[in-house]
Parts: sequence; structure tokens; C-alpha cells
Amino acid sequence: VTVGIARRVVSVRLHHKWWGLIFVLPVVTFFAAFNLFPTLFGLWLSFTDYDLLSPPVWVGLDNFANLLADRLFVQAFTNTLVFVLGATVPVWVLSLLAALVFDQTFRGRDILKAAFFLPVLPPVVVVAVVWRLLLHPNGVLTSLTGGWWGITEIRWLADATLAPLSMIAVQNWAIIPFFMMIWLAGLAAIPPEFREAAAIDGAGPVRTFWHIDLPQLRSTGVLVAALSSINAFQTFALQYVLPTDPGGPANSTLVLGLLVLKYGFQYFRMGDAAAISVVMFALIMAVTLVQLWFNRRA
Amino acid sequence: MRPTSTIMALGYKTTKREQTTMRILIRLATLIGLFTWTGIAAAEQVTVRMWMHEHPPRIPIDKAIIADFEQANPDIKVRYDVISAQEYSTKLLTAFAAGSGPDLFNNTSTLVTQYFAARILAAIDYDALGYANEAALLAKFQGGFDGIRFQGKLYGVPTEVSNWTCFANNSIWREAGLDPKTDWPKTWEDLPAGAEKLTTRDQNGVPIRRGFDFAWTIPGTFWFTPNTMIHQLGARMIDEDNYKAALDAAPSRRAFQYLQDWAVKYRLGGPQYTASRTDFLAGKLAAECSFGIWGIPQMQAAGIDWSVMPAPRWADAVSDNGLDIYAYYMMVNARSAPAVQKAAWKLVRFYTDHAAELFGSAGLFVPRTEVTESAAYKENSAAPFFLAELKKAKFSPRVVGYTRVLDTILRGKDKLVQGEKIDDVLPVMNEEVNAVMNRERARAATLVK
Repeated sequence: VTVGIARRVVSVRLHHKWWGLIFVLPVVTFFAAFNLFPTLFGLWLSFTDYDLLSPPVWVGLDNFANLLADRLFVQAFTNTLVFVLGATVPVWVLSLLAALVFDQTFRGRDILKAAFFLPVLPPVVVVAVVWRLLLHPNGVLTSLTGGWWGITEIRWLADATLAPLSMIAVQNWAIIPFFMMIWLAGLAAIPPEFREAAAIDGAGPVRTFWHIDLPQLRSTGVLVAALSSINAFQTFALQYVLPTDPGGPANSTLVLGLLVLKYGFQYFRMGDAAAISVVMFALIMAVTLVQLWFNRRA
Repeated sequence: MRPTSTIMALGYKTTKREQTTMRILIRLATLIGLFTWTGIAAAEQVTVRMWMHEHPPRIPIDKAIIADFEQANPDIKVRYDVISAQEYSTKLLTAFAAGSGPDLFNNTSTLVTQYFAARILAAIDYDALGYANEAALLAKFQGGFDGIRFQGKLYGVPTEVSNWTCFANNSIWREAGLDPKTDWPKTWEDLPAGAEKLTTRDQNGVPIRRGFDFAWTIPGTFWFTPNTMIHQLGARMIDEDNYKAALDAAPSRRAFQYLQDWAVKYRLGGPQYTASRTDFLAGKLAAECSFGIWGIPQMQAAGIDWSVMPAPRWADAVSDNGLDIYAYYMMVNARSAPAVQKAAWKLVRFYTDHAAELFGSAGLFVPRTEVTESAAYKENSAAPFFLAELKKAKFSPRVVGYTRVLDTILRGKDKLVQGEKIDDVLPVMNEEVNAVMNRERARAATLVK
């Protein structure tokens, strides 16, 4: 009888195992076909010279070595780092400040919060198109800022110095509300007793924030840092749509994501495009790992 | 007479059941025979997959031509696909990469070199095309083949040969007390002063309405315009035979200095303003030089009172060419089966013989006798002017890696517009273009077996 029961248990387990496999198979197949295979294929392509018209030719690490001497890559890499810096540090600070404001109770808070959140809703392309109009050399923003000094033309997007700054400003405008919501969720998760205890001990708002809120928001901070960094490293649509010429003027807004498109589908150098993608992947992975390590250590 | 009766007539005695069986068998055999015959006929039918870029007025004409062709050639079936113009090059390349490229396709003269380098283009099969030889084919046309000739052979037939020229908005000229017929600047040297008369500026000198501006937002402008200016000086920006750039040579310096002065010194326009075509069609720009003959319907639709004008020449020009020409060609995939290639060339002949219709209904100009003799051509007051300019114009150089070469030039142009010195920009641009061309050519030679 015992043997019979044991057999049945094994059979049921196997049965469950097979059913489980059958249920996950579509997702696994989908993932393998549309995620795993393209990733591995992209990795393989990065070691080849491939122009789409002729079969790929294995070139080993040549594509990666060439990148180091490639002016376009160096410029795109530098631009990306500048953009990441501009689209992360201010985002962390400003979104946290906004969250602290909206964490308070005041009249009309919900309406204001909803209005503040609006820039997150439209797709990046729509944001870019709207800002393109606002940043016209003789447009609204020129009137608002240059009017004081009698300036009637500011080349927000046609000047190689101003264009990258404009990109950063638009990115901050579009994503700060999103990260504000994450900070707000983090703030809401702090037990109110902590703040009450601090208040009883006579701590003011600044000390409460510094000694109670901030340490409690550590994991939220890492999440905000990781998400905003990944988002900034992957930037593409803004630099593609906002300037008159994608990545322009004079490549001042050319970022790695845009360079992948240029190499792959404008220059038809798929091997180089794949190599840049691999570098991007490594960069994002490295930054994320550092942030996670920092979180664990803290 | 029924088949079973024949058997009976021969004296065999058969039962009713045998007769029925025999009848069924004979009918079955007839049916099988019929199916086999139609099967063979279907197997003999050749299918030509044809890809064209999207040009809405041309699509109904394409469909009608194909229907007529299929009717005239029942052994050939055409699978016609229209691809959006923006995605066309990428889709074409990815299709070839996947081994599913079309048998017949069109593309512009600026992009054909990479297909030639990859040995995708089949040389013209004159027999299938229905011409005795190259001379017989060329005799039908009045030009347009220079963009598709490689190493002495032709690889396609033009379906559109186009050149940009200048247009004036008569109303704006009249407002400024000028007449384009008499006041149009004939030289590049006269153009800034002419444009200034038509420009209105604010208190800071910022143009509120430009007189004339280049099409800064169209990448091809910085291929056609400097090449045109350099051709006029009897030189070449890029020697396509030897893959050598001369961007730092005196004629190129003069052309790029001119473009820089336009934006920086004279402040007559630049990339920061609304695209010149858009402003011209909105009645906000007095003159523009990036429309072809195909632009006239757009001007008419926008209610612009226009005049067609020649592109300026240098005062000391040694060549009287206007803006460079480009063409769209129909080309056949060398990787398709020989029978399919023959059918495709046959279709090319049938299609290009409808040139007058393509001009009349879709505005696509091909310099052929039947076009210049058509009613549509005679009714179009600008057409003879275009033909005359087209005959004098030259093709811009065709190189492997054209997109990257042009991109390098565009980056150099950006730096010039930012005010960087020509002495700093052009040598670097020249070195980069040479490096790109050498690498791309060497790569093409390696990849193509």
C-alpha cells in the first residue's frame, strides 16, 4: 500500500510538473524568441562585420577596438554621460523636494499634484514635438527669457552648447513628476510613529527629514537612482525628435542610443551597432550593480 | 459520340455495370488530365515581386500598368508592394539581408552604389528589355543614365530624372518693388544682396521674413548644393572613381565658405528657422531652390503665384550647370532566378514605356520623346525650362557609404554654422570623409565574394 501511495504521489508530482511546464511554455517560447534570441544574436553580431547585403564576417574584437578610436562613438559616449548626469542628480533632488511638498496637507493639493503629474502622461515624442515649438528661436521661451535683455532670438536647439542643456531640461520636466510619485510612496511607507516620536523629542522638520525620513527612504532612493540612470542611459526619442537634425547640431546631442540607430540603419554597419549596444548594456549593468552594492553596504 | 459507345462499336459485349464503371474511369482520367495541364501551366507562370517607394499619385498608375502587363503576359504574375518612402531603404536592405529581396525594385541614384558593390544589381538584359543594344535604349531617352552606369555597364532604367531649381513667390517680390523676371540674381555673388532686399528684420537684425534661404533641414541640400557649386568651378567634391575627397581644396572651400557666410556673416537664414520649403509653401519666403518640377502642384495647391528661375552660377563659372540631378531607377535583383530576371526586365520595358502617363498623372519626369511631345508637357510652362537645366546638370558623386559621407559633411556644416573657422573644419571633414570612403570601399571589396 505504501509503495502504491508513493507511486501515486510521484505520478501526481510528475503530472503537476508537466502541466506546469505546459503552462509556462508559451511565455518561455515567447521570451526565448523575442528576448533571448535577439540578445544573443546581437552579441554574436558585435563580433562580426555585417552590412545587411552580404553574410556576416567574423572579426573578433575588432568592432570594440575600433570604437575606441571612433570620434563619433567618443562624442556620443561623452554626450550620454553628460545627459545621464543632468537627467539623474537634479531629478533625484527635485523629485524628492516635490514629494516632500506634496506630502504635506494643504488646500488644493490633489488637484495640484494631478496637474504636476501631467507631463508624465504623453509619450516622449509628443513631449518633444511640443517643446520643439516652445523652443523655437523666436518662440515663447525666447520671449520669456530673452525679453528682459531685449534678445529676440535664442537658438535653443541650433546652438551646440544650448541644445544638450535644452534636452536635459525637457527630460527633467517630463520625468520629475514620475519619480516624485515613487518618493511619495516611500514617504507614505514610513510608520507615522517614527515622526511622532521625533516630534515628542523636539526635532524640527529638517532634523526629522534628515534623521528619520532620509534613512527610511534609502531603498526608495536606490530605486529612483537605478531607474533614472537606466532611463537616462537609454535616452533616444528626445534626441531624435527634438533637434532639427537627430543628434544635432554638430553631434552635440548625439547619444549612444541614437548612434546605434545611425550605425545600424543609416550606415548599415550592424556589427558596430551591435558592439555599441553591448557597451551600453555593460554600462547600464555596471551602474545598476554599483547602486545595488551601495544600497546593501549602507 | 460517347466514349463507351466506341468500345461497344468495336464489338465488345459489356454489362451495364461495366459500362458505368468505364464511364466513371474515363471522366476521372479527363479530369486528372485537365488538372495536370493547368498545374503545368501554373508552374510555368513566373512571379515577379516588385517593390516601389510610396509616391501616392503614382500608385494607381502602377496598378493599372501592372494589370495591363499581366493581361498581355499571362505567364507573368506581378506581386506589387508599396513601401513608405521613409522606411524604403531600410526595408529593402533588411529584405535582401533575409534573402527575400524583391526581384524588381526602384531606388535613387545616390543610394544605388551599395547595391552595385554588393552585386545585387543585374546588368541590363537588352534581349529581355526589348532593345537591340545599349545604343537603342539610349536613343529612346535624352539622358538620365549616368547615375546607373558602373564600370561601363547599365544596371537600371530611369523612371524619374529630377533636378531642383529655384522658385520665386511673385507676390512677395512685387511687395518689395521687385520683379523676379528682371531682378533675379544670376550669380551666387549677387544672391545675398538680392535676398537682403526681400528680407525683413526686427530691431536686433533677426530675420522675421527671409528673402531666400537654403533647405538646411534637408540633408540632400548639402550634397547637391556644394557639389553643384564645385561642378560650376570645373572641379569635383569627391572623385568617385578613385574615392578621394577634395573637401579642403579651393573650390570646396569657396562653396562651404559661401554657405557659412549665408548663415553667420549675412544672417540671411540658417538651420534654426522653419524649413524653407514649408515657409515657401506658406507664402513666407520670397525664393527657394529645393523644388523639382514635382513641386509645382504643391505650389498651386498652396495658392502661390510662382515663377521658375535658374539656380545661380558663379560669376567666374567654367560650367553652366544648374543644381545637380538625381534619378530613380528600376533595377533587377541579380540573385533572382534567370527566368524571373527576364520577366522583370520585360516588365521594366512595359512600365517605362508609360513615361508620358507617369509624367501627366504623377509628375514624374523622364526625358523621353513621348514625354516631351505629350500634352501634359506642353501645358506645363516650367517643363521646357527643367529639361534645358537637366541637360546641363551633372549627377553628384556616387560612393559606397554615401549616408555616412553625407553625415560627416552635415556635421562639418553644423560646425561652420556654429561659427567655427573653415580652416579648422574642412581639413578634418576631408580627412574623415576619406577615412569613411576608404573603409567602406575596402569593406565592400572584402564582403563581396
